[in-house]
Amino acid sequence: MESALAQPAAARETGCGFFSRTPESIFTPEDFRGDDALMIEAANDFSRKEVLPVAERLDHQEDDLMPSLIRKAGELGFCGIDSPEAYGGLGLGKNLAARILEFLSLNASFSVTVGVTSGISQVGLSWFGTDEQKAKYLPRLTSGEWMGAYALSEPNSGSDALSASTRADKRGDKYILNGTKMWISNAKWAEFFLVMAKVDGERFSAFIVERDFPGVEIAREEHKMGLKGSSTARVLLENCEVPVENLLYEEGKGHQVALNALNLGRFKLSSMSIGPLRSSIELAARYSLERKQFGEPISNFGLIRKKLALMATMIWASESMIYRTGAMIDGAFAEWGGPVEGNKKAAEEYSVECSMCKVFSTEAESLGIDEALQCYGGYGFTEEFPIARNYRDARVSRIYEGTNEINRVFIGSRLARKISEGKASGESANDSFVAELAGRALLSVPKDQVGLGALSDLLMFQYAEQSARLRARQGGLHKALYGRFVDWVNPRAAEAYQAIVSEAVSLPAPSGVGVDEIAEAVLAKRLP
Amino acid sequence: MRLRRALMKILVPIKRVVDPYAKVRSLPDGSGMDTTGLKFEINPFDEIAVEEAVRLKEKDPSIEIVAVSIGGAECEEQLRKGLAMGADRAILVETNDPLDSTVVAAELAALANELKPDMILMGKQATDDDNNQAGQMLAAKLNWPQATFAAKVERGDGIVRVTRETDTGDETLELPLPCLVTTDLRLNEPRYIALPGIIKARSKPLEKRPRMTSAAPKTRIVRMEAPAARQAGRKVGSVDELYVALKDRGAL
Ligand SMILES: Cc1cc2nc3c(=O)[nH]c(=O)nc-3n(C[C@H](O)[C@H](O)[C@H](O)COP(=O)(O)OP(=O)(O)OC[C@H]3O[C@@H](n4cnc5c(N)ncnc54)[C@H](O)[C@@H]3O)c2cc1C
Repeated sequence: MESALAQPAAARETGCGFFSRTPESIFTPEDFRGDDALMIEAANDFSRKEVLPVAERLDHQEDDLMPSLIRKAGELGFCGIDSPEAYGGLGLGKNLAARILEFLSLNASFSVTVGVTSGISQVGLSWFGTDEQKAKYLPRLTSGEWMGAYALSEPNSGSDALSASTRADKRGDKYILNGTKMWISNAKWAEFFLVMAKVDGERFSAFIVERDFPGVEIAREEHKMGLKGSSTARVLLENCEVPVENLLYEEGKGHQVALNALNLGRFKLSSMSIGPLRSSIELAARYSLERKQFGEPISNFGLIRKKLALMATMIWASESMIYRTGAMIDGAFAEWGGPVEGNKKAAEEYSVECSMCKVFSTEAESLGIDEALQCYGGYGFTEEFPIARNYRDARVSRIYEGTNEINRVFIGSRLARKISEGKASGESANDSFVAELAGRALLSVPKDQVGLGALSDLLMFQYAEQSARLRARQGGLHKALYGRFVDWVNPRAAEAYQAIVSEAVSLPAPSGVGVDEIAEAVLAKRLP
Repeated sequence: MRLRRALMKILVPIKRVVDPYAKVRSLPDGSGMDTTGLKFEINPFDEIAVEEAVRLKEKDPSIEIVAVSIGGAECEEQLRKGLAMGADRAILVETNDPLDSTVVAAELAALANELKPDMILMGKQATDDDNNQAGQMLAAKLNWPQATFAAKVERGDGIVRVTRETDTGDETLELPLPCLVTTDLRLNEPRYIALPGIIKARSKPLEKRPRMTSAAPKTRIVRMEAPAARQAGRKVGSVDELYVALKDRGAL
């Protein structure tokens, strides 16, 4: 059976095209069939049988537990899903890889570990590396023999990543790196680090650094509020010697490596945020069926059912935008990918969509898991039940891969720039309440950050609503989910609009449908 | 004396069943099960059979494993999984006819007569109907020796040795080939399917063919309904109270 095909170039939307035109159809999660579905099922199986049962032990960082899980994952092909076949990867699409990752992400600590080693540590190398670099490093990463890390952040440069102060000075056939990289996921276990540093303190560049190079030291683990099973530590570089052939791409062009990897990282983080939400809704459903108050299971109560329905709606809406975006990314790579310039173009094309997916999904994750915890009452507030861990773990999703504030600054301003450069049409699709508001708001792009953030919200809501509407055409429960979503999103879109324009808008009447139908499906494990 | 036969070909029948962990409900008209939104899987006992066949093959690569399923086109999904786990080829006997154990045994017997496997390895029952009879019927039709509820399967020279866990202890049987073995839960833990295995399976043959017999089902589902809801229990304060309550209900 063929794997789901990337959309042909002719039908593919252009970046930011959603704003002015609603496409005929989009790729939806239901389009993962045959082998794709089998692969997703394999990931789900692995998560449930190998990862979830040891979640507590992972949180205690039991010796070699996480590395052995990663090795197992590697044997099953999970560490190189979308990496080139020539270097041990499976050469599958980014969209399918993201869906597989979603199901590998039922536990968030495992999620970030496998996500970083299979994702942002590798893609820079795949897109920008020379054949020699790829041949030397990719097979060890794709097989799970080595873990990889991505080292951009520093103590004094987080959101303002390009202001990094780690420097690289060329001495003969080596670069000498000095500086501190902060918050490096996988640091404790990784053998491969993609490190960003400035040559002569000026030219931002990317380097491949092996753990065993002289001058690399890994500091103690950070004491985190969540993701306790993952490794996060500082990487200290003191006169670290890196052979010149380990410069990735060109001196002064490291930002292209780092930022393009981040574009894809944001896309993947979206699906990685839905995994923990999925396991949380299941926990909440099971608990609500078991817990009795006033003589009946709490799952009978309207306000509990409303929470279950909201969680399901958030998962569904997030998926609708994520996998639409992934199919477009695959299409772009199919058309342009291969040569470095083409890879950059493909990675850049949907950067706004990637950011919207990131912000929407990570906030859906937080909102949904908060509601899941509420279903547990006081028991949710204890560490005796797994939901407290999910709650703590979810918090960081809104912080890394670009904080949601940084992404909000980006979405509105980049879309406006694409329009002003003639790369996207500024005429609104105008075919829903949200789309109309977005169209009107864009007539004058706000200059201040508060307005810009609200504009980004509106655009994100438009993309979500449009994706949801197209997916809902399949009918059945999709219709109910769309109804719930519109009831949720319309008032939020109005609020965002009012924040920009300071003008009252009247809301369309809510559909009021769906709560019971969706809650029943959640309780019976019949979600799409 | 019987000619000693080597274990060369294993036939593994696979049934597509509703996810055994899903909450099922009957259709309002009682004609069957409402399967909307439910996931389907390989019957877990059959998955164990595939796993066992693959383990035998790992020790002797000359073995050929043929997975077979009887049912609608959608059964291809489960066959694909069997191929990804390590079966060499698959056959889908494509039909939308109603099937019961009689029909399944008849079709499999016809297939076995054609393919001449040395062993048929199959689940002791399917988790949807829980009949536990297709294997036995099939062995009877073929007039083959059979061992049901296998907890261990070993190869010998021209034989298969099967250990069964019984209430009185482990029972070990030796069966000459060809033979039929049905699997119990404790036989093995099926492997995870690996992504490269799925990709490799794309090039393995999957043959679709019509039914070979006209066997008709001997049973028919008349009605399917949810079990009556259990009455809520109540808490008693003491052993004495419990005694009285049980006595009241005539339980003592
Ligand atoms: C568990 C964990 C794992 C991580 N893993 C990695 C990793 O593997 N590799 C890596 O390189 N980094 C990693 N990071 C770092 C992460 O990417 C940064 O924390 C993040 O980019 C934010 O940087 P900062 O923490 O310095 O916050 P700051 O940049 O100091 O931000 C502080 C606050 O100010 C806001 N802010 C900043 N600038 C603006 C602006 N222009 N407009 C509006 N608001 C603004 C931010 O949104 C935030 O709310 C990880 C972090 C954590 C917590």
